[in-house]
Amino acid sequence: MTIAVPEGRAAVLAAHAEECVQCRAAPLPTDRIAMLLSATEVGVEPAVLSARALARLRRELRVNRPVAYGAVAGGLLRALLPLPAVAAVDAYMLWLAYSYGATLLPRPLVAYWVWSYAAVLVLLFALTYAALPLFLVRQQSGCARPERGR
Amino acid sequence: MASDEELIDAVARGDEPAVRELLRRYERPLSHFIYRYTAGRDVEDLYQETWVRVVRAARRFEPGKRFSTWLFQIAVNLCRDWYRRAPPEASQAADDLPGPAGLERTEAAIDAARLLAQLPPPQREVLMLRYFHDLTADETAAVLECPTGTVKSRLHEALARLAASVKEER
Repeated sequence: MTIAVPEGRAAVLAAHAEECVQCRAAPLPTDRIAMLLSATEVGVEPAVLSARALARLRRELRVNRPVAYGAVAGGLLRALLPLPAVAAVDAYMLWLAYSYGATLLPRPLVAYWVWSYAAVLVLLFALTYAALPLFLVRQQSGCARPERGR
Repeated sequence: MASDEELIDAVARGDEPAVRELLRRYERPLSHFIYRYTAGRDVEDLYQETWVRVVRAARRFEPGKRFSTWLFQIAVNLCRDWYRRAPPEASQAADDLPGPAGLERTEAAIDAARLLAQLPPPQREVLMLRYFHDLTADETAAVLECPTGTVKSRLHEALARLAASVKEER
């Protein structure tokens, strides 16, 4: 069976044979080498590989997209809307707890408990709202990029 | 039609059609390069990893550079890492090669793949880029980050080794 050698490839070998000092002194059987190399077959379907690669690349592309800070600010504002109502209800509940506790226990002790609880609530709210922008940015870029390297 | 460099700039901003177009342009040369380098082993993993690295590093792409050179540099580096981790078993890989054009062709393909796999990686890289991918000596030198003279001498060594193998086989 004769296997055709593409012209461009044969030209690569011919050009090498011309310019290579060693090849000029002792010519290599470039025809036979070209025939041998032309027999190599590639058993992959590039389009299938690309389709599978694209599925994996979509996540990487989301990470590359610039963050829309307007959307993040809008999300944060919407999250802040119910805060006054929640704070008012909490304050009322704490006042009720203080009033009821003060009828049973010494006032300084009840005040200590109520203020401690109030401080914990404030801390929880602060942490929650501080995490919101981070959450919104991560949501925009899909999810965290997996570890680099293999 | 957008150039490769314009497309990679769009990929850096997360543009999916741009990456689709780059995949379409380079799927054939890249997959064939990886296939020949690894004798058909782990082609899909290496192909995907090459593109993942392209997308991740798209923002760091230097504007003066050619995209194709950069892409093949990434592929060569990944293939070298792969080769260090898992030395190819030439005969086994060659036996696995598919042969759609009949028995005689398959035997020739197995011989060719086996002889290619026997070449040391630096010679194989030069031979594949120069011969199968039509890169010039300068382009090959840019991909492999070595002098042009080294490319020429490695090509000669590869051809001489193949010539010796051909003689032995006869």
